[in-house]
Amino acid sequence: MIRLEHLSKTFKKRRALDDLSLEIQESEIFGLLGHNGAGKSTTFGMLLGQIYPSAGEAFIRGVSVQQDRQRALRGVGAIFEEPAFHDYLSGWDNLRILTSYTARLPEEELREAVRFTGLENRIHDPVRVYSHGMRQRLALAQALLPRPELILLDEPAEGLDPEGIHEMRQLILRLNREHGMTVVLSSHLLAEVEQLCDRVAILNQGRLIFKGHWNELTAAATQGHRLDVDDWEKAEVVIKSLGASRLTDDTIALAPDGDMADLVAALVTAGVRVRAVEPVRRNLEEIYLNAISDASRS
Amino acid sequence: MTLVFIQLRNELHKLFARKRTHLGFAAFLAVEVLILFLLNLPKPKAGFRRLIEQNGYGFDQYFSGSTLALLILMWTTFLLGALYLALVAGDVVAKEVEDGTLRMILCRPVSRLRVGLLKYAACVLYTLVLALFIGLTALLAGLAYRGWGGLFVIAPQEHLLALYDAWPGLWRYLAALPLLALSLVSISSMGFLFSCCNMKPAAATILTLSIFFFDSIFRNIPYFESLQGWFMTAHMAAWLHVFEYHIPWWRMAEDYTLLLALDTTFALLGLAILHQRDFKA
Repeated sequence: MIRLEHLSKTFKKRRALDDLSLEIQESEIFGLLGHNGAGKSTTFGMLLGQIYPSAGEAFIRGVSVQQDRQRALRGVGAIFEEPAFHDYLSGWDNLRILTSYTARLPEEELREAVRFTGLENRIHDPVRVYSHGMRQRLALAQALLPRPELILLDEPAEGLDPEGIHEMRQLILRLNREHGMTVVLSSHLLAEVEQLCDRVAILNQGRLIFKGHWNELTAAATQGHRLDVDDWEKAEVVIKSLGASRLTDDTIALAPDGDMADLVAALVTAGVRVRAVEPVRRNLEEIYLNAISDASRS
Repeated sequence: MTLVFIQLRNELHKLFARKRTHLGFAAFLAVEVLILFLLNLPKPKAGFRRLIEQNGYGFDQYFSGSTLALLILMWTTFLLGALYLALVAGDVVAKEVEDGTLRMILCRPVSRLRVGLLKYAACVLYTLVLALFIGLTALLAGLAYRGWGGLFVIAPQEHLLALYDAWPGLWRYLAALPLLALSLVSISSMGFLFSCCNMKPAAATILTLSIFFFDSIFRNIPYFESLQGWFMTAHMAAWLHVFEYHIPWWRMAEDYTLLLALDTTFALLGLAILHQRDFKA
């Protein structure tokens, strides 16, 4: 669905994006992670043809955004971190005006998007009286008109309360599952990305430092296993014999090629009762920060 | 209605739905009433009487609704009209960039050229509507205040002094309105150009007004008399030629061709700048 080829962007002397190459498949929810200024919005800007790359090219369904922006953006909807509207106009007028830049849509289609986002009771109010959550929903409604195949969401949960975040998450999941839309989501909220995305890319200072499945990232972040056994003295002998080591009172690290199943079997054979085994993982923040610090070191 | 007309209608809706537009139009009405009031104070009225009578004409016949309307038109368009058009045109792109609404538009499969052209067209139409509004309301206010009568035209800068009976005067006045509107398009075009540049809306407005007023002031300095052709405001005054006894059609055609070329240059430069800019949060 999306192919980014060696995208780079320099604003004056600041390198905002450095040789980013990515592929995003159809019907997946893809997460773009990174702190503020990592290059997420710049990537979105280039995908939408709002920012010209200093080098490289972005393709949507094989059409170059830089060569043929209008054709590439057919079937693409987008919302930004701070969705902007004409505050003195109603939500309905804003929808009508924005959609007119794509096509002449029947009113029923507009009403359907309004219903989907739950704005039907307030759509004729001026946008200036909308809460942040309502503005986000209006932004989503306009992004769904006309129905896109690909939707780009730049920090969609930013500034929302927990209830709003939950609602937005459910809407995104419905778009993907019920309508088969490809969703590309940028965020610095790790839990948000973990709950929604199949695959992620992490950007740091404009550079891609990780791309792949979310569980690849979390699996790599496993920090040993917690063991609950009745006799640690006996257990320690077995642990050492298999090349593993004891990290803390109740935590061990396996040998590089070790398998937890073998260790448990050996413990049981040695007469040690194993009550529980669980992997110890760093939390999301630690995983993310670790990935960034690894990238910085390299 | 084709899509382009729907888009243009929406651009106009954005301009005319603003509270500022209503306040602005109301301000023009208030200024018209104020000018009428001031012209009817004893001292200004006596001065005007002297001026008409010194030229051998009857004050009561020529201190009429259409004469007052023309005076209102000349003064309000020069001061308030220029200010207001610079404000609207200076905002038309820059404000949308500042607010982020242009980025919302540019998420859609529409070319920047088309968006820019729509905004420029909306500016031009707005200018025409404003000029006609000022002209017609000034006429109505003048007629309501002083009634029907001859038209006395005095514009020292253009070396113009003319008197017309009521009907010929009215026709010339009405013919002057679309030409005045065309002249004012140059201010809007300049405002549009600066609005497309990477600057705040207020900066685009101030720059447009500064150039307009500098041009206007320098044009009136006697040392620059020989350079009249280089001043934009000298060509913008071409609408007043309609009030000459023998209308200099050729000269007017020259003036308006030049203004048209200037407007086209401003618009194309603006569109080129809009096309090559990056739009980021």
